[in-house]
Amino acid sequence: MENRFAIVGICPLPEEQRERQYRWQRVKGVRPFFAGTVLMLVLIVMGCLLCDLFVTKDPGYLDLHNYGAPPDREFLFGTDTMGRDIFAMIWYGGRTSLTIGIAATMISTVLAVVLGALSGCAPSRADKLLMRMTDILLSVPALSAVILIQAVLGEADVLSISFVLGITGWMSIAKVVRSEVRQIRECEYVIASRCMGGGFFHVLWKHLTPGFLSSIMFMVVMNIRNAIVAESTLSFMGIGLPAEVVTWGSMLSLAEDAMLANAWWIILIPGAFLVVTLLCFTSLGNHLRRNVSRGESNL
Amino acid sequence: MTALLDVNHLSVSFDTPQGEIQAVRDVSFSLQAGEVLAVVGESGCGKSALCKAIMRLLPASGRIRSEGIYVNGTDIGGMKEREMCRLRGKLFSMVFQDPMTSLNPAMTVGAQIAEAVRVHDPKIARQALHDRVAELMRLVEIDRVQERMKLYPQHLSGGMRQRCVMAIALAGNPAILFADEPTTALDVTIQAQILDLLRSLQRTLGMGTVFVTHDLGVAARAADRVAVMYAGKIVEIGTCEEIFRDPKHPYTWGLMRSLPAFARGRDTLYTIPGMPPALLHPPKGDAFACRNPWALAIDYEEEPPLFRVSDTHYAATWLLDERAPKIASPVAGVADGISDNCLVGEGTSDRKDDRPKEPDRESVCAGTAQVSAGKQEILLDVQHLTYVFPLNKKTVFKAVDDVSFQIKRGEIFGLIGESGSGKSTVARCIMNLYRPNGAKILYKGIDTCDPALFRRHRKMLQTMRQIIFQDSGSSLNQRMKVWDIITEPLQIWHITPPRGSMRAEAAFQMHYVGLDASCLNRYPTELSGGQRQRVAIARALSMEPELLVADEPVASLDVSIQAQIVNLFRHLQKEHGFSFLFIAHDLAMVEFLCDRVGVMYQGKLVEEGATKEVFSNPKHPYTRALLDASVRPVPMPVFRECLYRS
Amino acid sequence: MAGSRWDKIWYVGKKLLTFFGSILVLSVMVFSISRLAPGDPLVSYYGDRAEKMSQGERAWAEEKLGLHEPIPVQYVRWLAGALQGDFGISYKYKRPVVNVIGERVGNTLLLGGIGFVLIFCLALLLGIWCACREGRLFDSVICKIGTISSCIPEFWLSLLLVLLFSVNLKWLPGSGAYTVGQAGGWVDRARHLILPLAVVVLGHLWYYAYLIRNRILAEMRADYVLLAKAKGLTRRRVLFRHCLRNVMPAYLSIMAISVPHILGGTYVIETVFSYPGLGTLTYESARYHDYNLLMLLCILTGILVILGNQAAQAITEKRIG
Repeated sequence: MENRFAIVGICPLPEEQRERQYRWQRVKGVRPFFAGTVLMLVLIVMGCLLCDLFVTKDPGYLDLHNYGAPPDREFLFGTDTMGRDIFAMIWYGGRTSLTIGIAATMISTVLAVVLGALSGCAPSRADKLLMRMTDILLSVPALSAVILIQAVLGEADVLSISFVLGITGWMSIAKVVRSEVRQIRECEYVIASRCMGGGFFHVLWKHLTPGFLSSIMFMVVMNIRNAIVAESTLSFMGIGLPAEVVTWGSMLSLAEDAMLANAWWIILIPGAFLVVTLLCFTSLGNHLRRNVSRGESNL
Repeated sequence: MTALLDVNHLSVSFDTPQGEIQAVRDVSFSLQAGEVLAVVGESGCGKSALCKAIMRLLPASGRIRSEGIYVNGTDIGGMKEREMCRLRGKLFSMVFQDPMTSLNPAMTVGAQIAEAVRVHDPKIARQALHDRVAELMRLVEIDRVQERMKLYPQHLSGGMRQRCVMAIALAGNPAILFADEPTTALDVTIQAQILDLLRSLQRTLGMGTVFVTHDLGVAARAADRVAVMYAGKIVEIGTCEEIFRDPKHPYTWGLMRSLPAFARGRDTLYTIPGMPPALLHPPKGDAFACRNPWALAIDYEEEPPLFRVSDTHYAATWLLDERAPKIASPVAGVADGISDNCLVGEGTSDRKDDRPKEPDRESVCAGTAQVSAGKQEILLDVQHLTYVFPLNKKTVFKAVDDVSFQIKRGEIFGLIGESGSGKSTVARCIMNLYRPNGAKILYKGIDTCDPALFRRHRKMLQTMRQIIFQDSGSSLNQRMKVWDIITEPLQIWHITPPRGSMRAEAAFQMHYVGLDASCLNRYPTELSGGQRQRVAIARALSMEPELLVADEPVASLDVSIQAQIVNLFRHLQKEHGFSFLFIAHDLAMVEFLCDRVGVMYQGKLVEEGATKEVFSNPKHPYTRALLDASVRPVPMPVFRECLYRS
Repeated sequence: MAGSRWDKIWYVGKKLLTFFGSILVLSVMVFSISRLAPGDPLVSYYGDRAEKMSQGERAWAEEKLGLHEPIPVQYVRWLAGALQGDFGISYKYKRPVVNVIGERVGNTLLLGGIGFVLIFCLALLLGIWCACREGRLFDSVICKIGTISSCIPEFWLSLLLVLLFSVNLKWLPGSGAYTVGQAGGWVDRARHLILPLAVVVLGHLWYYAYLIRNRILAEMRADYVLLAKAKGLTRRRVLFRHCLRNVMPAYLSIMAISVPHILGGTYVIETVFSYPGLGTLTYESARYHDYNLLMLLCILTGILVILGNQAAQAITEKRIG
């Protein structure tokens, strides 16, 4: 008993406590909703990529005997008013829709990064001008701009529609890139880096790029979402891809006929796929955004 | 007699995604009417959470448990939010740390004060309200009241804003005032004014005051009683005299010993080893044990209760148990010596007679002078440095105005001044971040202000001179790992690391600045403030520079960590001959660390000389004001009071 | 004092100059893009007949519409007319474009205007309400609904509503602005407006409500809120007197920028509901190269965009100054 009162001085604390705490943190970080949506997204993307393996019907085949058939054993999701199998069209159409979304996002991301970084590094006058322009472009109703440009370009194909969506969707990302670049440029670690002799390219590569990449990641994901929405809207209105090119949007362009026949499956099923995919992208985007803001709040 | 405020077993915890953080653990204390209780502790020890919990101002994630919080005998612990609203402002009120953010930027200060008046007197007439606001503003010693009432907070200086916050707090004539680090965010001279104002208001209005601070000096100056908090608990509580004259808890010893004033005659400051524990999973037993050189075996197993020393003095340490070995307090003697010294100085108004009597300090200065005497080479020579910022098209702001000074090799040159005095601008001009016109900054005879010469010697200049910033949080890229940060200069200049790999190089530098190699793969956000500052120093050292420019390197750190960093600077200079430009506003640190100092005031270098000379015989009125105003870490006024009273 | 008046005049003058400058640049851009694009404007005037025209007939037709001249000359002609209030005739409707637009602008303003006001007020209410109940059931339900509904494309939502309320339940009409032959009945118009309006509001509401909520919560975490509470203000008063007051300028400026979005962004809905508004007109004119109509529509949108932007800028500047 006596030796409990002996001076032992500074003893190291057992490490296991910290370890346990860290692991627990990681497990708790993942939300069930997010995990579910990611799983769903993976399923949909895989399904669209590998649809050749399990889809037996040709999505373009017009089965004139079975047009407007409700879902049954043969036509899992029914057929549309032109007699095409909706189940097959969903997967092939999804492939096109996703391709357009990703291609358009790639174009707008590249544009946004170049213009945003340029504006962020430019002297304040040029920066002001560039950002003013971006602001004005941003407040132009996006779809009317798209309609205008698409109408000018004439008949759409996958490439041209991606291009149009790409050049109309870069503004908000560019603004984030620009403000991040401005902010990071003022940061003391960049000043320190310059003191140590780091040149422009060193700073750009080592500090600026990783800095804004993480904060635009969620916007990029959201941009995929927006591009898919815009494409489907355009195709639905008949300005985008023609009905022969199957996408989720062009499938819905038959909605008017379907409405007359009260064929709900033609409207509901492609729409549901569209909405679920968009939801998955949104969830992914929100998760990325939360991660970014958490990183900041830790400081 | 019932106490004004009586807190029984109060605990506060926060729910976070990582788990429950126990910010305040089982705290009890009481406050008498008209008394000032200082709550002292390092950041994160739960002192502000304690005040906010009593006023119920915690965010929604905060949970409060208590066995009663009594104000004048009534329990407010179980009151509903609506009842609390009625008490706030009237019964108790609060002054916050940062006056820059605690006022609403979209309302005039007059309107904000008026709002506070109207809350408790909704039917007040317009004219009466106006008069009351003016009266409150005059009470906190704001002049030109009618004008200032109509201003927005951003048009007022920090000191003025803090006065406005105080006026708001006083609007309801509260019985208890909580002051949460009210002077921390202010300049030294303003700090003293606010502190004196608070003290005089407290006396005239007879408020009970809970004064939260991390600064023992401030506590000593303002408080009747002192409570020392550590890791969410009060570890020692007693009257000011008891705490400063005869502290019982090893943590209090550590805090007092790490003050520069206690280091007179020593080369290094005492430091408390280690860091405060995370309150997420507080360690078993005494939370301070793992930093306590006098820790007993039982400290690691069982939490110590509060032992009674006297009727007013309690301390939570097993050392006070009768079975424990008796240990003489390592600070008692020192405190006595200093307080005596102060008493001698008290009679004479002139500092000159007082200060040179300290033989220890003199010999230290002489010692360093001898060290540097051997190498009198002038490393940096700043000549007529002037730098202006254009504010708009017409007006410019002269941030630095004709500043000249020299730094010799192996010397620590201190630059003191309040915020906005241009000291950081000087540092940035020296580092070629700003390009001053018509000035000469000679580094080893090379004029770095000349673009052509700078380009020719760029590599030498940029490797031999390194900068360390105040806020280690923003001076390290949080997306890079520690080893990557430390070796960044090597990567910039494509230097093959002398110790094999980049990681080995980083590990070497980390060892050098006293960091554990386990941090190598961590991100800066996972480190504490002190560790981050060490990483920043290690990065600066990785090029083995000759001159280090340190821009307020310890200002954002806790006292015990400040001491560790200052010791590190001391060590680097003495053992390895680095030269420093040490920029600070903390006079005590500068006095301890620097060989020579310069005092900056409104962009001008108003005084320059050997530290001893400047501190004992200040020539410029501003330097004198600064020295008078600085909250001396030595608690002399209080000692004076305490001794007179007894 | 005189200086400040001149400053004010200079300020307003600068704004006006930017405004007209931007409109001019816009008109040049739209003019040249639309004429350089492939396509045959004659089709929109003569319909199918245009394809069967001989060379001489074509030349005659082009001259009649003023299309034979080089583009800069055409532009100057157009501009001269426009400054006098003559914007030319629509090729498709063969009437002055001002009249064509005049007929339909009311419908769009009704749909977009009511939608805008509803969104503005409901978002404010919902945002404040959610902020008050942060983390509770109501808040999390609203946030979830917002996330999900932000993923539903407007056109699909319209389809769903039509399928449910007009095709199956037959409660509300699913197309047009009024029942043919009964133009003018207010009840009838209102019934036709409900579904499109619901889509306009549901499509935008959540975004703005969420914005308000987050801004208020960010303000609630500011230090001055603690001081306001320490004064003795109730949570509600802090929210309204301090937080909302600081959030409002930002909200107003965002809403100002959003005017063209909401007002001009109704064309998808107009298409689905066959609602005779400007959206469908824009689409047609772009598609069929109805140059004069397109020009005026673009300029109207442009005016809206620039005015919205300038209003937003003025609000921000006022707050800073």
